[in-house]
Amino acid sequence: MSIIRKYKCETVKVENPLPGIFSAWFCSLDHPFKFKPGQFLHLTLDEYDPSLPWPDSRCFSMQSNPSETLLKITFSVKGNYTKRMADELSEGKIVYLKLPYGELFSRNYSSRPCVFIAGGTGITPFLSLFTDKIFSSYIEPKLFLGIRDEKYNLYAEEIAEAKKINNRLVS
Amino acid sequence: MTRDAIYKLVREFYCTNYAPKYFNPEKDFVRYAGRVFDESEMISLVDACLDFWLTEGRFSEEFMRKISDYLNVDNIILTNSGSSANLLAFSALTSEKLGDKRLKPGDEVITVAAGFPATVAPIIQNNMIPVFVDIDIPTYNIKVSDLEKAITEKTKCVFIAHTLGNPFNVDEVLKLVKDHNLWLIEDNCDAFGSKYKGKYTGTFGHLATISFYPAHHITTGEGGAVVTNDDELARIVQSFRDWGRDCYCGGGENNTCGKRFSQQFGSLPFGYDHKYVYSELGYNLKMTDLQAAIGVAQMDKLEFFCERRKENYEMYQNIFSKYSEFFILPEATLHSDPAWFSYILTVKENIPFKRNDFIQHLNNNRIETRNMFAGNIIRQPAFINTTFRKADGLINTDCIMNNTFFLGTYPGMRPEMISYIEKITDDYIGKIK
Repeated sequence: MSIIRKYKCETVKVENPLPGIFSAWFCSLDHPFKFKPGQFLHLTLDEYDPSLPWPDSRCFSMQSNPSETLLKITFSVKGNYTKRMADELSEGKIVYLKLPYGELFSRNYSSRPCVFIAGGTGITPFLSLFTDKIFSSYIEPKLFLGIRDEKYNLYAEEIAEAKKINNRLVS
Repeated sequence: MTRDAIYKLVREFYCTNYAPKYFNPEKDFVRYAGRVFDESEMISLVDACLDFWLTEGRFSEEFMRKISDYLNVDNIILTNSGSSANLLAFSALTSEKLGDKRLKPGDEVITVAAGFPATVAPIIQNNMIPVFVDIDIPTYNIKVSDLEKAITEKTKCVFIAHTLGNPFNVDEVLKLVKDHNLWLIEDNCDAFGSKYKGKYTGTFGHLATISFYPAHHITTGEGGAVVTNDDELARIVQSFRDWGRDCYCGGGENNTCGKRFSQQFGSLPFGYDHKYVYSELGYNLKMTDLQAAIGVAQMDKLEFFCERRKENYEMYQNIFSKYSEFFILPEATLHSDPAWFSYILTVKENIPFKRNDFIQHLNNNRIETRNMFAGNIIRQPAFINTTFRKADGLINTDCIMNNTFFLGTYPGMRPEMISYIEKITDDYIGKIK
């Protein structure tokens, strides 16, 4: 798998569109992010000293596509760490990210009809593919997204963008 | 005591003990290769020592990042030697994860006999058949005109080196690899920094290997790397390198996949600790952070080292072009820009001296030479009774075995040393003529 790199990042923006659901955008303070659609990262809120072990962290899928400068994640508050994230993440907060992990789209699926099934924030790894130009090569992509009700559809804009990239996408 | 205070002492130690020395042609040796470093390597190594993080750590990460950025390759897997890198790259292609494309016992692998044993040994140890193709003089690379003739329905892979820093004919090899759907491993151990059509060697095949042994373009003491843009292959290589385990956590890490206790493998109980699931037959062939620390500093010098190698090559060309009646001078492969590992010469036949006469003279005058590695490997004791196929008569390979040698081009080879080599050569040829 790709080299895992550690990034010192600044939190650029945090949004809380619904109770318990947050989106955050980060910019790298050293080298540009390098990952592939569908991969995930480790995020730590604590200071990281390279001469010491990596601190406690949690995994999140990258929601933005690899060509974007800002890296976006969306998370829901489930446990202690995500509660810390909800409390501590704000504009200017320094975090450390370790990525990329995972191989969701490592095989070439674009040549066959594909069905994408997701529930709630689980759509985020798909969005990094859908908003990437490589998505245009997917032949018959179909998306089934389960959400509690319409107000939880936080992804309408990105899905609309995906349909511009690939007008064969059915959702 | 702070780290900075220690670095200052190391710097002072370096300046006192390793200042460049005057070359005394009356008594000093002219080595064919060696480590070239300054205080930055020593400080980096001490820095790693002070961490006392002994396995892969922050220096390995930085070293991998530098190699990745240099070659523009996604995946770098550091190993404990170039030979291990060759073994890993080749063994990875036997993984069942590759399905029908995997290499199986009895498959044929195209390679050359005029090279280093660590390119051929993995083929034999994985129960495959090396098919030896002759090489071309004066590029010393595989004869592409014979390559297609060597391919049969059993051929599944081409595993060849960019000999002594001179790229092989990548266009022709790639065309055949694609036409016949073969794997290609580039043994780039002697060519880190060489280019073909403006692109670094080691970036054309499915996998490539690099060596960091002191004779090579950069050094970590012992060390090597496998490089690939294929994420699946990288994962498999890493597995073979790391005891064959399925887990990809870094040293000291746990549960980076988030599924450590929630998967089913083989007929193990559900949730068996992923850290101890083994999907390949592997060993521990990792590099330490101490070695990587040296590599981090060396990478900053790689471009300079390559330029020095090219300059030294040109100096040799000027010397030996005077004696083209006795020597076949090396030539760069068309469209290539070699970062020469060494300066290679073949003594012509039917002249008043043999290779061994000349190199004996050089060695008697403290000038190190080397033969071209195994010569013809099928004549070596370890290989003579192995199963292989010769694609042809290997005439040039035998010629190399009998008549070829090389001199050093490493960046520690200074102009006054090459001038000394010229003097010793002039003396010898003067007596012959």
